[in-house]
Amino acid sequence: MSNSDTVPLHPSSQSDIDEIENLINSYPSSVLPARPPSPPRIPVSAAPPPPPSFIPSNLPPPSLHKTTPVFSPAPSVPPAPVPPVPPPRGSTTASSSIAGSGFGPAPNTLTEPVWDTIKRDLLRIVSNLKLVVFPNPFREDPGKALRDWDLWGPFFFIVFLGLVLSWSASVKKSEVFAVAFALLAAGAVILTLNVLLLGGQIIFFQSLSLLGYCLFPLDIGALICMLVGNVIVKLVVVAVTLAWSSWAAYPFMSTAVNPRRKALALYPVLLMYVSVGFLVIAID
Amino acid sequence: MDESLTNLPTSHFVGSVPAVVSEEKKATNNEVPGANLQIFPPNNAGSGGQYQPIGSTSDGGGQPATNNWTGLFSISSYTQYFNVDTDIVLNRLISSLYPTTGDFVNKIDANPDLYGLVWISTTLVFAIASLGNCATYLMNRRSDHSTSWTFDVNYLNVAAGTIYGYALIVPLGYYFVLQYLGSSVSLIRFWCLWGYSLFIFILTSFLLVIPVEFLRWTIILIAGAASASFIGLNLRSYIQSNDLTILAISAFVLQMGLSIFIKMWFFA
Repeated sequence: MSNSDTVPLHPSSQSDIDEIENLINSYPSSVLPARPPSPPRIPVSAAPPPPPSFIPSNLPPPSLHKTTPVFSPAPSVPPAPVPPVPPPRGSTTASSSIAGSGFGPAPNTLTEPVWDTIKRDLLRIVSNLKLVVFPNPFREDPGKALRDWDLWGPFFFIVFLGLVLSWSASVKKSEVFAVAFALLAAGAVILTLNVLLLGGQIIFFQSLSLLGYCLFPLDIGALICMLVGNVIVKLVVVAVTLAWSSWAAYPFMSTAVNPRRKALALYPVLLMYVSVGFLVIAID
Repeated sequence: MDESLTNLPTSHFVGSVPAVVSEEKKATNNEVPGANLQIFPPNNAGSGGQYQPIGSTSDGGGQPATNNWTGLFSISSYTQYFNVDTDIVLNRLISSLYPTTGDFVNKIDANPDLYGLVWISTTLVFAIASLGNCATYLMNRRSDHSTSWTFDVNYLNVAAGTIYGYALIVPLGYYFVLQYLGSSVSLIRFWCLWGYSLFIFILTSFLLVIPVEFLRWTIILIAGAASASFIGLNLRSYIQSNDLTILAISAFVLQMGLSIFIKMWFFA
């Protein structure tokens, strides 16, 4: 269900909800407590056969042929406490390609190369960007679209916008950066609080992430305005990117509150983007 | 399910604590009497898609309403001040433009809101900072045709300090003075009143861009007088005690002072 819309960039990088769903759906019998370790693992359970190098120490090989007579009543054994070995095994077999040994997915992200980590985060930023800013069929259902939110993307976009504004200013460069950064960061927090105070239902960090991603068009606009000097062109570019940013943020904000208060929740978003757009035009 | 568990006889257990009843959550919502409460259950905000709901009680919704300082840090204790709809806010904005009728306090008496204060003052900060820059540029161009456009970021800092300081501290001051003089007044209603009184300055700051000095002074004096009389009349009808008219007059003077300061600093 959720795997169809968010690309599982790396099996261990799925959001928590998706990971739990995967465990339940894909490996039903290894998650449900069932049996003593030795007999049922090989033929009865639907779990994939363990790699031969991972036979644990509590499974002495001579017991294999000894327990075959008791193999048939094994399915009717009432659920025993889950042995700690099989369930993590079930999840690491799919994701053990990188890390190698270990119980549980934790060593995978610690022992992988740095470039893999960075690439995974970059791909997540790109996929979130595509979901939020560009037209796609999932825009009408906000709960599905930004499930795998992160804060790296918004951080990059805010810092980039502050830097571009600071570069295009001729005087007081550090003040301009400080004002832009404070405006955007505090603005995102205050906008989220505004929705919560109006009785809306959003998750705080998911909303911060969304507002950060919606700055991407204004980033592009600011870059273009820095390279072009003409005021009229700047006005047009900023107007277009402002409309794009507002269009990107509209469905998420408007579905989060009571429909009678929609305008009250959307107006501050518009105010923040207009003020940022004005800064982009006015700084020269 | 929760109610059935609270009714279990547990008081005979050694060291048991009586179960906290969950009625406190409803108590915080019912504090405003006579208001047009729209209490919709936490999972019912709007039709259609929502985000994954946090869990309706995650914001400390079980706080008792009195003497609990941790209520300062939870959002649910402030939602009662934002319990307004779009049409209510628009109605209040329009009625803040009429300076002669002193009935604004009657309108907000049942349901004062802080939404107006926060967003009107924020819009005003942005408006006077940006339009002040435009106006200064236009004025300088009239006298010297070669000036180039510069954007002074300091305008934002001064604007934010002035407007937020005025809107927060002046009602606080009046609240303390009136408490000291004996009458019981509500700080939230003062904040609401002063917040909506700033709305007219947003409209006038658009008009103040016109680079004709005489016109600017006329506009700001008219707007300042309208806003100040709005404040003065409403304050007087709220206090309802004739020997405190001096306070209404001082509020009038302060509001005029703010308007003149805006003109002289930002639209010089």
